[in-house]
Amino acid sequence: MKTTRIVEAVLFASETPLTAAEIARASGDLSAKDVEQAIGELCHEYEAEDRSVQIYPLGDGYQILTRPEYAPYLERFDSITRTNKLSRAALETLAIVAYRQPVSRLEVEEVRGVSAAGVLRNLYERGLIEVVDRAEGLGRPLLYGTTKRFLDHFGLRAVDDLPKPENLEIALRTEG
Amino acid sequence: MRLPTPVTSQAVEESDRFLVDLERFQGPLDLLLHLIRSQDVDIFDIPIADITGQFIAAIENVEERLTLERAGEFLEMAATLVRIKAQMLLPRRDDLLDDADPRSELVRRLIEYEVFREVAYTLADAEADRALHRGKGYVEPRTLPKSSELPLELTIEEFLEIALSLPAPLEKRPHRAPVLPVTVDEKIELWYKALKRKARVQFGKFIGRWKTRVHAVMSFLACLELAKRGRVVLRQDRPFSTLWVYPSEDDEDS
Repeated sequence: MKTTRIVEAVLFASETPLTAAEIARASGDLSAKDVEQAIGELCHEYEAEDRSVQIYPLGDGYQILTRPEYAPYLERFDSITRTNKLSRAALETLAIVAYRQPVSRLEVEEVRGVSAAGVLRNLYERGLIEVVDRAEGLGRPLLYGTTKRFLDHFGLRAVDDLPKPENLEIALRTEG
Repeated sequence: MRLPTPVTSQAVEESDRFLVDLERFQGPLDLLLHLIRSQDVDIFDIPIADITGQFIAAIENVEERLTLERAGEFLEMAATLVRIKAQMLLPRRDDLLDDADPRSELVRRLIEYEVFREVAYTLADAEADRALHRGKGYVEPRTLPKSSELPLELTIEEFLEIALSLPAPLEKRPHRAPVLPVTVDEKIELWYKALKRKARVQFGKFIGRWKTRVHAVMSFLACLELAKRGRVVLRQDRPFSTLWVYPSEDDEDS
């Protein structure tokens, strides 16, 4: 059996992103490197054949997803998995957690200048952040970090994909 | 009565221009940044007196609608601004070089917050883009029609008729420890007997023969058990019509 077809079958059957190592478990003859290569070939093939799906890297894994051009046709089926858009408070809090992790509630509150308990709980319940550690010192406050689901939700490979602060279009302008 | 002096009215007009909807803002830093950026003020040289006035005017107008916690966050910033404003008025000693500008800590916080606010916009874009890609399991699996979708052809008159034909509620009796006067097995025997005598038995009549609840329940369970074993067949023309119990075909030869 061709490696590309095996990899395709496993990816097709999965509802969540799979890492190359996970896909390689399909057969004893497969290595993660073979899988990576097969995924590259499949991507080219889908591109060349103008398929409605493509293999996207999400977190440290891959998943077959529909291409954005087909989104309007799928919106009619929106009844179940509509991903709720996050509020601005949630997005700002996530931004701080992503850049500063591991980070405590207090640090988040200092940056935003508002209370963060409710937003953090909400993000935790949605599986977008997790408790990664406890800080030393008084009360040993919980330290938060982002999760795999966070990467999936924003279509990122890694937290490093986020823009570097120095590249942001912020007018740190002085006069003139 | 004294009319307001032109100076006051001008001051009101001045602050009116910066009336903002606090709901739109994430917090005091967000509001402050808006005041600074929308007026194209140099963030490293904030005209602290003007900005403080605008900030306080903005929160004064909506104070009663804010929760205590949210109001506290805005008031704390207002206090900070007023303190900085006072410090700016004090003569500065040039021989003290370190953190000479009382605004520097506020500027640092504003810039830091602005960075994350900008990242949040990037995240919103990424979220919207990701939402255009659907994975397997996105489209809802076809579900079986719900039972309520089955046509139920029952008029209100029919419903009333059934309701009226129900026996009057049983008299209340003092509670006793339940000693079952009859078992399901005994009832199964009785069903067999009844079905031997007749080609079919009216479920309601059989159930109602003994006027107690336990008998009715046991008769019902016995009937279900027989149906499960395939010894009887239950027939009903339509919902709520008479339910008939027939011995099953293969049972007749035995």
